[in-house]
Amino acid sequence: MSNEVDRERREMATVLRPNGARPDGSLQITRRLFVHKALYGGAAAGAAGAALTGWFPLINTMTMAYGAEAPFSFAWISDTHLYPKTVNTRFVDKATRAAKEVQAMHPPADFLIFGGDIAQLGRGAELELGNQILQEVKIKKYFIPGEHDWYFDMGAKWRQLYGNPNWTFDHKGVRFIGLDTISRAPDYWTPRRMTPEERMDHMATLDGTVAGPWAGVGNDQIAWMQKTLADWHKDAPVVIFSHNPLYEYYPPWNFWVRDWREVNEVLRPYTKVTNIHGHVHQVLYNEIGTMRSIGMLATSWPWPYAPEGVPKLTVEMIRVDPGDIYDGVGWGRIHQTSSTRFEPQYMMWGRKEVFAQSAPDSSSFHPEVLRPRIADNGWFYPD
Amino acid sequence: MQDSYAHRVVKLGAGLAVAVLSLGTAAPAKADRTPVTPAQLKAYNDVFIAEVRKGDLLFHGDAAMAKKLGVTLSTTGMACAMCHPMASDTHPGSFPKFQSTMGKFAALRDMINWCIAHPNQGEQIDTDSEAMHALESYIYWSNSGSVLDTGKY
Repeated sequence: MSNEVDRERREMATVLRPNGARPDGSLQITRRLFVHKALYGGAAAGAAGAALTGWFPLINTMTMAYGAEAPFSFAWISDTHLYPKTVNTRFVDKATRAAKEVQAMHPPADFLIFGGDIAQLGRGAELELGNQILQEVKIKKYFIPGEHDWYFDMGAKWRQLYGNPNWTFDHKGVRFIGLDTISRAPDYWTPRRMTPEERMDHMATLDGTVAGPWAGVGNDQIAWMQKTLADWHKDAPVVIFSHNPLYEYYPPWNFWVRDWREVNEVLRPYTKVTNIHGHVHQVLYNEIGTMRSIGMLATSWPWPYAPEGVPKLTVEMIRVDPGDIYDGVGWGRIHQTSSTRFEPQYMMWGRKEVFAQSAPDSSSFHPEVLRPRIADNGWFYPD
Repeated sequence: MQDSYAHRVVKLGAGLAVAVLSLGTAAPAKADRTPVTPAQLKAYNDVFIAEVRKGDLLFHGDAAMAKKLGVTLSTTGMACAMCHPMASDTHPGSFPKFQSTMGKFAALRDMINWCIAHPNQGEQIDTDSEAMHALESYIYWSNSGSVLDTGKY
C-alpha cells in the first residue's frame, strides 16, 4: 500500500471509528450457509429443491428490530453497460436474464433498485434499450444513475426516462434513500473544447486520467440528505443506494466519493445505516463508523480488485474465468426476514462458490504494482 | 591508469556525437567502447515510451490507433482495459506458464491473442506485429515493479 493511501486509511480510521464504533451492536462476524435458489428460465425452485451452493460471510445480521413490520425482499440490478444490440448481444442477454430472474422471484420482491450504468456510452438508444429490457420486471422500480448514463447529454435522456436521480421513500419501517454520486464531475470538457462523444469516452474509461475525481455527493445533496433524515429516529434502519461506494477504496478508479468525510459526518448519528452500491463490479464489504457498505455484482463484466485499498473486512469473490461470460457477474437479492435480519445474497451465475476458498482463487492473489495511463492526457491548454 | 584531461575531452566529444546521432535514430550504442550518456538513455527511453503509448491506446480501444496499425482487436465494444484497468490482473510476470484458461502452456502474447479472439471476438494479430509489440510494452510498463514470478498460476 502506498504511503498516500496508507495515510488516508489511518485518517479514515481515526475520524470515523472512535471508541470502537460499529454499525450496530448485534453484528456477527460469522459465516453461514445461504440458500441460492435456482430461478432460471422463470422456474421458481422451492426451498426443498434448492441447493446449498455457497458461503455468505459477514453481513447477515443487521438488526432491523425497530422498524421491522413484516419480512420483505428487494432486488438489485446494476452495471448492465448496454451497447446497442448491433454491437454487443452478450450484455443484452445478461441484462435480460437478470430481469427475468428478478421477475421470477418467489415470493416476489417488493421492489427493484437499478444501481446505475444501464448504458455504456450514454446514448439514447442504449438507455431506451435498458428501459425496454426492464419492462420485464413488473414490480416497482427505482433508478439511480451511473456515470456511463450521463455524460453524453448530461443526463437529459436519463431524466426523461427515469426521473429524478435522487429520491427517498419509507417501506415497512425502513427509510430508503437513493443518491446521485455521478453528476457532479469537475468540468474537464469545456476548456478542452470536447465534443459530447469525447466527454463521454473519457468518463467511460475506468482508469482514465482526464475525468479526474468525478464521483461525489455534493454539498447540496448532502444538505438534502441531512434534511431527509432529520425526522428519522437515530436507531431506525436506513438503507442508502449509491452508484459509487460512500468511502475511499481506490480513487484512481473512482471507487469512492470524494466527499465521503462529509457524507459520513451526516450519517454518524444513525446507528443502523447500510449502503448498497454498484460501480465496482465485485463482491465488497466494509464498515465506516456506523455505516456498513456492500458492493454488488454487475451483469456485464467483473472488475478485478484494485491493487490497494481493498477493505480488510471484505471476503473476496472468486477469480473469474474469462472464458465464461456468465462468470463473476449476476444480480442481488436483499431479504429482510421476520427475525429482524437483513440478508443480501449475490446471485452469481455459473458459480457454486461466490467467495474465494483459497488465496489462488482470488484476483488479488498476486500483489500488483500498477501505473496509471500515459496516453490519454497529452493535452495542453490552448493559448 | 587515469585519463589525461585532453583524453577525457576527446571522449566526451565522441560521446556527444553518438548521443546526437542517437536522438535522431536511436542507433545501437557501442556499449563496449563508449560510456552511455544521459542523452542516449533518453533516446532509448523515448523509443520505448512511444511503444507504450501506442499500446495504451490499443489496450483502451482507440479506433484511430487500431486503424493505423491495421488491426481489429475487438468487435464487441469490449476493450482490453474494460477487464484490466491499468493493465491490472494481466500478471505479465507470471508468463510463460500453463494457462488454464487456454488449457496449454502459453506466453503473454498467446494470452493477448486469446483475449482478442474470445472476450473481444476480434481478429488475432501476428505475434511479431507492431501491435503486439505495443501491447506487450504497455502491459509490462504498467506492471513495472510487480514481482517476476514466472510459471505461477
